[in-house]
Amino acid sequence: MTTVDCASRSVREINEAIRRLVKDGASEILVANPGARHNLAVAVLTDVAITIDGPVGYYAGGMSDGARLTIRGSAGWGVAEGMLSGTVVVEGNAGNGAAASIRGGTVVVRGDAAARAGIAMKGGLLVIGGDTGYMTGFMMQRGRIIVCGNAEPALADSMYEGTIFVGGEIAELGNDTVVSDATPGERAEIRTALSRYGVKGPDAFRKIVSGRKLWNYDKKDLDVWKAAF
Amino acid sequence: MEGRVLSTLRPSQIYRPDVMEDIHLKADLGRYRFRGFGTLRPRPLPSFDDLTFITCSLTRIPLEGYRERCSTKTVLGARFAKRPIELDIPVMITGMSWGALSYNAKVALARGARRVGSSTTTGDGGMLPAEREHSRVLVYEVLPSRYGLSIHDLRAADAIELTVGQGAKPATGGVLLGSKVSPEIAAARELPAGVDQRSPARHPDWLGPDDMIIKIEELREATEWQVPIFVKLGATRVYDDVKLAAKAGADVIVVDGMEGGTAASPEILQDHTGIPTLAAVCEARRGLQDLGLYGQVQLIIAGGIRSGVDAAKAMALGADAVYIGTAALIALNCNRPLFIEDYAALGTEPYACHHCHTGRCPVGITTQDPELMKRLPIEEAADRVANFMHAMTLEIQMLARACGKADVHHLEPEDLRALTLEAAAITGLPLVGTNYVPGRRAGD
Repeated sequence: MTTVDCASRSVREINEAIRRLVKDGASEILVANPGARHNLAVAVLTDVAITIDGPVGYYAGGMSDGARLTIRGSAGWGVAEGMLSGTVVVEGNAGNGAAASIRGGTVVVRGDAAARAGIAMKGGLLVIGGDTGYMTGFMMQRGRIIVCGNAEPALADSMYEGTIFVGGEIAELGNDTVVSDATPGERAEIRTALSRYGVKGPDAFRKIVSGRKLWNYDKKDLDVWKAAF
Repeated sequence: MEGRVLSTLRPSQIYRPDVMEDIHLKADLGRYRFRGFGTLRPRPLPSFDDLTFITCSLTRIPLEGYRERCSTKTVLGARFAKRPIELDIPVMITGMSWGALSYNAKVALARGARRVGSSTTTGDGGMLPAEREHSRVLVYEVLPSRYGLSIHDLRAADAIELTVGQGAKPATGGVLLGSKVSPEIAAARELPAGVDQRSPARHPDWLGPDDMIIKIEELREATEWQVPIFVKLGATRVYDDVKLAAKAGADVIVVDGMEGGTAASPEILQDHTGIPTLAAVCEARRGLQDLGLYGQVQLIIAGGIRSGVDAAKAMALGADAVYIGTAALIALNCNRPLFIEDYAALGTEPYACHHCHTGRCPVGITTQDPELMKRLPIEEAADRVANFMHAMTLEIQMLARACGKADVHHLEPEDLRALTLEAAAITGLPLVGTNYVPGRRAGD
């Protein structure tokens, strides 16, 4: 494994070093002493394993396509935002907007996720081992979110499509959502996804999908629209 | 009329016929009204029409209007980017989405702008591959919705525009009604076909100016510091917003005044939010000057720029370039008296159509209907766009030469005077025939 030491280096220098190693064909890279810097390992477009050895700031692994990133610590806002494919695993907790607007790939937060996790997701999978914050899955379009712990209010508010599974308590459902129990087949899929990343979850999950009342304006649904529009 | 007493026919000035109609419509709809185009306020806004150029006479010497060189070359984004944008003219095409506009319209704008050495901009729906192919310079918008955002497209762009707001509807997201969310558009935006799509107002992964500093750094890292980063603001608290955007590291700031157009928006936002472009450019310049960054951070002004005259006045007040949107669509054929029966079917007529939101554009511009789209042949439409942008440039040059300038970027506030007290107060320019500037004491 090749190492990039962040000590005494700017973000620009660190990312340049990572890009250079990727270009030279490195398959595994260790990023040491990250010091919670922002914007580490953004826009990596190659199937390469990158391990960041400590906590990171905003947008770690953002806009990547194909990289496999592991963060040995917690992550700030927008971890993996805009990702197209690949994986980002956060060993600790994640700040606001984890996996915001990803279009593919998998993001795993082993700890808790803060507000707006999975906001505007357009595809892919977000796994949260612990609890998740306010407005998780807001305006979600496609993809799946699995929350093993509890969900704070406004869960899945105004989602277009996609599916959210919650193993713990749901403080409050968001506007225009429909909740049901996950089917045996869906529970099996969840178990497979969790075991792939070594995440422990409960046996039962609730499933949240769009009520589709917000898809098109209708006077009959005035109360729903008043809240959303 | 026989038997009627005229004095009893006194229409209310508060509940005018149009106000009553608005109430009737909302009583039927149960929601606010949507439409396209831009503000239709009956009361005129302060505008560039309230200014006049005081061209050369004895105190200043003009350039020969039809012969001497007057440069229009425009460089944007040299503050931090390795590859600043170089345009032949200071008139650019603003962001309008593929979805709001038809494929033919987007490609025609790209080709037209290319012919005159200028740029076009993507919009709230990602990058249309043909738009990249046909654009010489393409600005890629990063909007709150992030529809279709791809790192590969981002890296294929010549500049990135981080959009905070839009002049027609600052602080709210875009709208694309279901009639325009065709299967193709839905696939590009990863949405169900036919939904009334409402874009978010805030970005999903940052909120305030401190976050934006980090976001800008991310965009620079993602593109290896190659291309300029624009920040686009809907004109509201322009002085403070411009300072915050410049401090956050923008190379170029776009300020979009309330006259800016839209393909669909709640009507009240178009008519009752934001400030006029005339005021916005003055505040923006003052903000950059107070930071000591005027000239280092370029300023693009947008919102109701209709001609080379508007552009030249905006530039004299501080803009480095202007965006055109609605004017470019009008050049394409918007509101032209063709297919008049289709205007009538929409309940409107040429020169008064603002039905972009319906997707039934009679001239094939703001539609996803393949049959309507055919009414906009790309080559002819591109010619009209290029012709219009060329004409605008000639107008800017003519005014600059008449003011004695060998470069359109040398136009300055001293070349202008205000025709109204209101414009003098907004711009700080003296009222014509006087040295009077409202709020300024003699000797200031």
